[in-house]
Amino acid sequence: MTMLEIKNLHVEVAGQKILKGLNLTINPGEVHAIMGPNGAGKSTLAYAICGKEGYEITEGSVTFKGKNFLELTANERAGEGVFLGFQYPVEIPGVSNMNFLKAAINSLRKYRGEDDMAAVDFLKLIRAKAEELEMKPEMLKRAVNVGFSGGEKKRNEMVQMAMLEPIFSVLDETDSGLDIDALRIVADGINRMRSPEKSILVITHYQRLLDYVVPDFVHVLANGKIVKTGDKSLALELEKNGYAGLGIDENAA
Amino acid sequence: MTEKNHFDGRNYANYFNAHRHILPNAELAWLNDVRAKAISSFIEVGLPGPKVEEWKYTNLNLLKTTIYETSEKIATENTDIIQKYALEGVLGSKVVFVDGYFNSELSDVQKQQGVVLTSLNEFISANPEHAEQVFQESKNQDSLGELNTALMTGGFVLIIDENIKLAEPIQIFHIASEKSQAKSLRLKNFINIKSTSSAQIIEYFISPDNIDCWRQNVTEVIVGEKAKLEIYQFQQEGNETIHMNQTLADVKESGNFKHYSLNIGGKISRTEIKPTINGLYGNVDLRGAFLGRNGNSHDVFTHMKHMKPEGDSNQSYRGVLDKGGKSAFQGKVYVAKDAQLTNANQSNKNLLLDRGAEANSKPELLIYADDVKCSHGTTVGELDNEAIFYLKSRGLDQKAAKALLVEAFVAEVFEDIKLQSVKSRYLELAGSWLESGD
Ligand SMILES: Nc1ncnc2c1ncn2[C@@H]1O[C@H](COP(=O)(O)OP(=O)(O)OP(=O)(O)O)[C@@H](O)[C@H]1O
Ligand SMILES: [Mg+2]
Repeated sequence: MTMLEIKNLHVEVAGQKILKGLNLTINPGEVHAIMGPNGAGKSTLAYAICGKEGYEITEGSVTFKGKNFLELTANERAGEGVFLGFQYPVEIPGVSNMNFLKAAINSLRKYRGEDDMAAVDFLKLIRAKAEELEMKPEMLKRAVNVGFSGGEKKRNEMVQMAMLEPIFSVLDETDSGLDIDALRIVADGINRMRSPEKSILVITHYQRLLDYVVPDFVHVLANGKIVKTGDKSLALELEKNGYAGLGIDENAA
Repeated sequence: MTEKNHFDGRNYANYFNAHRHILPNAELAWLNDVRAKAISSFIEVGLPGPKVEEWKYTNLNLLKTTIYETSEKIATENTDIIQKYALEGVLGSKVVFVDGYFNSELSDVQKQQGVVLTSLNEFISANPEHAEQVFQESKNQDSLGELNTALMTGGFVLIIDENIKLAEPIQIFHIASEKSQAKSLRLKNFINIKSTSSAQIIEYFISPDNIDCWRQNVTEVIVGEKAKLEIYQFQQEGNETIHMNQTLADVKESGNFKHYSLNIGGKISRTEIKPTINGLYGNVDLRGAFLGRNGNSHDVFTHMKHMKPEGDSNQSYRGVLDKGGKSAFQGKVYVAKDAQLTNANQSNKNLLLDRGAEANSKPELLIYADDVKCSHGTTVGELDNEAIFYLKSRGLDQKAAKALLVEAFVAEVFEDIKLQSVKSRYLELAGSWLESGD
């Protein structure tokens, strides 16, 4: 069965038409990359897939594993196995990373009809995942993203992804703001999520990440639509010639 | 004290005259005198009306016409309630009041050398002279406090001699039963922690839903030189209760007084804390949160007085108001001319979850010393929608996401509590408050 099928998607934000008839199909096991000029609507697509309020779907459909996703709330979509790595992770004062993740894991388990995770198992899991992503254990005790550097926030997103084990992840510019070592650590984290049952949609501006996380497909989003699709070589081509080289007018987004 | 600003309290005087003979320890002439003086001071002033500045956010109109008769002592019936509320792992004495009377069956008062912990009525009958002196030194200062003294049915007394550190917190349960419908429950308590001693007290105020009763609780505290007292209060009254809780504290040189409270119940809830630093280096820390909706009116009124130099005081309060909830924080700080090098901070932050909620905040600083550091800040805000979406994207539903943010908002004021069980209970109650809403 298809993982995600988006047909003729039209999305409006604050009365402004952002996505204008976008089509995208992702099968299990595939990694897709979306590139595109600033303001093209990449984050809008990510939010529309994940169910953010205020992103009005005026036309089209989003189907996830055969289910009409547009009928589900954001948390129900997470329950179905979708994860969004935020371009700008949100700071939540007063909630520790630890409690946040515990609440998240147990909410997902509840949605799936499972009992809460035992406290010891949770601690083991979170320590292991933090270590894999080389996050200092004391950061787990700090309030979610509060005072984290840009790179630390992105790494924190990856720890969350590793903990929540989604079957479909949308990673919105997870590579932005990472230093060279961190990029490799995060890329390894993404690659660990690859499996024949799982799919990933990577939104990025740079070829760099795609050297580590090799995509099956690369799409270019401009003017609210996918205007070009190719394999990994498309990213290289873009890196070399820019969007203008493809005949895409950046300002028309 | 004009007629216009206060309601006439004469019906309470009539009630008092008809019932004074059945009040506890009525046979003691001096106590009778204390009560009689109190009632006349009360009627001289009357009940504060809405034009009285200190009461402008809390309307006592319904006390004008309804007389809440003095509660009666009932036989022990519900023993589970203590189990339900008592904190796990807190091993100190338990003092239980049911409908305004000490209940020895439910209580567990542990004896310790140098520590007096007893019900006020027993204290009065066992040590009448000492008790008389305590009442003479009482610092009652308002008409409602006088009414409470006139009609009190009991209370507790805690006196700790010099140099004793209580190892375990004392838990005090103020329970109201279904029989308290239309009754008033009036307690007067005295706490005296002498030099270099320390104690912790945890208090619970619990009444059933849909029972219209009026609870008055007045506690007079003395924190001796280098002594330390921490009070932790849980106000979980039923939706129809009128809750009035006043704490007066006299803090001596290098004394340390902490007062924490969480208010989540009652139709009218008024928490008054009036500490006075009467010696050098006194330290007062007042922290708390109030969460209100559907006709809850929360009023926290503080009056922090610095009379001597180099004292520190802090006040931090958080309010969370949902539809139909209303709150007022009135924080007064007074720094006397002598009280140089005082440090006084005050902050009140409020979170409105609905347009139909109301949060009032009124700081008042009266500073007569010139070399002091005083600060105050007030904010009113709403939940961050980006944070809600972030939480939802991780699987929390709308309500759980809001609840977690409410808990986080409130958590800040309880952060420094060292008694883990108390801290967790505060957070638990704040976190589950939203979900218990319907
Ligand atoms: N809440 C909003 N109100 C008004 N306009 C919005 C809102 N959210 C997004 N937009 C507009 O929608 C367009 C698409 O934004 P989006 O964030 O999806 O772009 P993007 O492709 O992710 O860009 P970038 O590469 O800079 O991250 C932009 O023009 C943006 O200004
Ligand atoms: Mg974006």
